[in-house]
Formats: sequence, structure tokens, C-alpha cells
Amino acid sequence: MRRRFAAILGLGILIASASALGSPPGLKPFERGTWQSLLKGHADRPTLVHFWGVTCGPCKVELPLLGKFAKDHPEIDVVTVSADLVPNLPAATQSMLDKAGLSSTENFIFNDGFVERLRFEIDPAWQGDIPRTMLISRDGSITTIEGSAEMSDLEKWSAQQLSKH
Amino acid sequence: MIGVLEGNRAMIRTGLLGIVALAWLQGAALGQMRAPHASEAACEEPTLRCATKATPAFAPDGTLWLVWMAGGQVSVASSQDAGRNFSVPVLVTTKRLNLDWGPDARPKIVVDRKGGIAVAFSIFRDEAFNGQVLYTRSTDGGKSFAELKPITASNESQRFEALALDQDGTVFAAWLDKRNRVPAREAGRKYEGAALFFASSRDGGATYTEASLARDGTCECCRLGLTFAAPGRPAVIFRNIFDGGVRDHAIMTFTDVSTPGEIHRVSNDDWQINACPHHGPSLTIGPNGTYHVAWYTNGKARKGLFYAHSRDEGRTFSAPMALGRPDRNPTRPFVLTGPAGTVMVWKEFDGEKTTVQMTISHDDGETWSPPRAISSTTDTSDHPLLVSNGGQVYLSWMTKADGYRLTAIEDQR
Repeated sequence: MRRRFAAILGLGILIASASALGSPPGLKPFERGTWQSLLKGHADRPTLVHFWGVTCGPCKVELPLLGKFAKDHPEIDVVTVSADLVPNLPAATQSMLDKAGLSSTENFIFNDGFVERLRFEIDPAWQGDIPRTMLISRDGSITTIEGSAEMSDLEKWSAQQLSKH
Repeated sequence: MIGVLEGNRAMIRTGLLGIVALAWLQGAALGQMRAPHASEAACEEPTLRCATKATPAFAPDGTLWLVWMAGGQVSVASSQDAGRNFSVPVLVTTKRLNLDWGPDARPKIVVDRKGGIAVAFSIFRDEAFNGQVLYTRSTDGGKSFAELKPITASNESQRFEALALDQDGTVFAAWLDKRNRVPAREAGRKYEGAALFFASSRDGGATYTEASLARDGTCECCRLGLTFAAPGRPAVIFRNIFDGGVRDHAIMTFTDVSTPGEIHRVSNDDWQINACPHHGPSLTIGPNGTYHVAWYTNGKARKGLFYAHSRDEGRTFSAPMALGRPDRNPTRPFVLTGPAGTVMVWKEFDGEKTTVQMTISHDDGETWSPPRAISSTTDTSDHPLLVSNGGQVYLSWMTKADGYRLTAIEDQR
């Protein structure tokens, strides 16, 4: 009986584990080399990469709009990167992403104390101002929007991506 | 029976595998959550070696004072030999605080003729990252500091404080304050950015006057540049929000410590951006009254670091002069007029190494020497700062890999 119970418990846990694999992946560390992996991982897919931070006022306004955009545009890979200086705050970051409807997108958090080097890998001219959105087309060409993005511009870009396909 | 047993064993095995798999998955997930973030600090103690931000000030008697944030605390120490050795640090804080770790935040310190030390810094007061400026002072030569007090009773957000000392010992404080978003919100008006607020202390930083508004509609996340243009007349440079959301720099010279002056635009960079640039300006005013300013912009008119001067009390400025190599990401400019000339420093990054570049002008900002690398490091670093003891200008630079450095600026004419 005890064995049967253990087996059922074990199976239950296995099912729970399997369903856990389908749950939001959580925050991934953004480290040296992550930018290149990200570009490779999304090659041939129109990808929107949004850099933001929990202490940035304009980001708080933009994030929920981006959440809606992501929901309305499953054909676009939406990636967020919390680019605040470390010490970064995973709990606050995740909470803001959840509230903005961005739990299930691919979400990164800066995880290198040498933040200049991380930024340099992404764009040598970037000084760290956030929010910042990089629109990566299928052909790899990148359009950078500094500051809050106009959702109408994102709509226009995503429509272009679809028409090119 | 055997079949059932085998079946049970198989189930148990499957169950155990499930447990192991879950433990592994959870371990991986927790490992990721608990992994200490690669820190910008070398270590987590309150010691200078672990500092991420260190701010210097020379006392009139030539003692170098340093205030730093490390391990969630703020400490002060002094050096009699230009930064080679420091006194035993004294904690200004009594416990770990959620110190403002924004890129442009740092603790501030001024030391008066009587040896009184005034200190101010910001913390995050809540989970929404609203800030609070705290201040304290020491009247026993830095042996102890008074209990920390908020610089204003307002419960809205204050950050990016700056301190300057007048000739008569008055301590002037300015900061960015978000209190005016409340009436705006109540009236259904949009409120952008923050406001420049100020207060002053005539008792060496023991008490400050009630906070007053100098200017509404400033950028909310860049450091201020603050100094005295003349006795009783503070001058502050800040990133303003001009019409159309253009975040260019403005300067204000006060009529006296309680009367703000007009603002003047430093340059038309036309940086229209709704974002936190995290990159504030620097201001110094020479004994002859020349204003020297350095700033960062990413505007339509120009991009990068720039320098300009004004010979009419900040009303008009010279054409912006670009600083640094554009392919080396020049950042964090600082300008200071000393007895040997006006010195500027900034950081450049080549993908692996950060260097501090220096240039000096001997003709009041008309011409500048070719930039020269005076220090470098291979990991993260604080902003390069300049400090003068009246006779010599020094570079003050906190680095993660190499610790704190105070380097005399050599004049190679």
C-alpha cells in the first residue's frame, strides 16, 4: 500500500514536473555572449527586443502596452531585457513583467557587473538610456527606437514583416 | 502477483525518477534564482575596497575626505597623504539600506573651514523605487555622525541630490523631486519628469530650510552639476525637458541661496526622448566667472560628449566642442577649474578596457591639449571625478578591479 502510494505520488510529481516545463521560463541571465546567442536563436524570425528597467519611469508606462502588442502579434518574437545596473532585482522585474502580461515572453535580466561591456556587445554607441527597443527583421537588419516606442510604429513594422514573408 | 509487484516496482521507479527529475528541475530553477548576480562591487563589505561609488572632497586644511557606498552602507574616511592611506572608516549609516544604485547616484560630502562635515545621499524608500534624500553631519572631525534625517518632509520621490559649500559656510542642497506629480495627477494633467528643488543650511548641515521649487519639468534620472558662481549665488546645471519632450541641458544661477534665477539653455542638441538617459552634466566656474560645462547628448543636432563655456554668467555658451573618440563610447564627463588650468576627464571603452581620458586648457577653455589616457581598468568602474585642494587637481576613481585611486593630474606643457 505504501509502495502504491509512493508510486502514485511519484507519478503525480512527474506530471507536475512535465507541466512545469510548459510554464513560463522565468528570467534568464543576460551575460557576455548572450546577445549573439539571442540573435542566432531568433534568426529568420522578426524579433522585437525591449530593454527596460524597474526604476525607469517611462518604462513603467510602456511595458503594459508592449504586453498587449506581444499578445496581439504571435508572429513576432518579443524578448525583454532588464538592463538596469546590477544589483538587479529579479523579483521586482518578474512582478512588473507579470503585471504587464509579459510572463510568457523570453525575458532576460542583466547579470554582469561590467555593464559597459554588455552594452558594448549590443550596440557600442548605447550609453544605457532606457527604454530602448531594437526591431530585428528576418534579414537581420536592426532598427533601434530610443526612448518609449510608439505602438503605431511597432504595428507598422510588424505589418511590414508579415508582408515580406 | 509477481506481475503486480513488478508493476508496482516499475511505478515506484517511475515515481522516483519523477522525484529526481523534479528535484533536478527545481534545483536548476532555484540555482538560477539564487545565483548571486555578478555584482558591480568587488565585495559585499562596507569597506572602501568594496565600494561602487566614492566621492571626494578636500577640506580647507588639505585633508582629503572620502564618502563611499559599499555593502548597503555609507562610510567616511580621511587621508593626510593624498589617498595613499585612509583613517579608520566611520559608518554614517547604522544598518544596510536600500541605497540608490542608479548609475548617476552617489553620496555627497562637503567639509567647511571649521572641520564640519555635511553628507547627503539617496535611498529607495519603497518598492516603486521612489527615492528619499537623507543627510547627516559631523562636528567632531568625522569621528561620529548625527542621526540620518530626510532633507524634506515630502513623502514623494527625491533623488540625485547635490551639495555645495558657500564661502560663509552655508551648505546649499539641490535635488530632483517628484512631489508635483501629485497635484498634476489630481487635476488630470500629464506630468513629465521631475522638478528641481533646493534648500540651504546655515548651521553646517544640521538643519535645512524648507524645500523650495526652482524649476518644474526637469529630466528625472540624471545627476546635477552644482557649484557657486559667486558668494551667495549657487549655479546648477541640469537636464531640462524643453517643449516637445526635448531633454537638453539648462543652467540656472541663483540670485541668492533662496531665490532661483532664470534658466538658460546650454545648447540646442534637440534630444527628444522619453527615457532615462542616466547621464548627467558637469559644471565648474573659475575665479574669473567663466562657466565651463560638459555633457552627454544623443540629439538630432549632435551626439556624444561636449564641452562649452560661458563668459556672461551662463546666459550664452560657446559652440559645443566634441570630446573623445566616437568609436570608443565616451561617457561621464567631469570638468574642474584648478590653479593650473581647467581640466576635463571622461571614460572611453574599447570593448575590453575602460580608460580615463584627460585634457587641460590654459586659456580659460579656448583651446585644449590633445586627450591623454591617465588611468585604465579592465572591469567595471565608477565615474571619473576631479577634486582640487587649491594647489593640485586630482582624478578620483573607484574601480572594481583595482580599488580606489587618487591620481595627481600632471600638467605636461
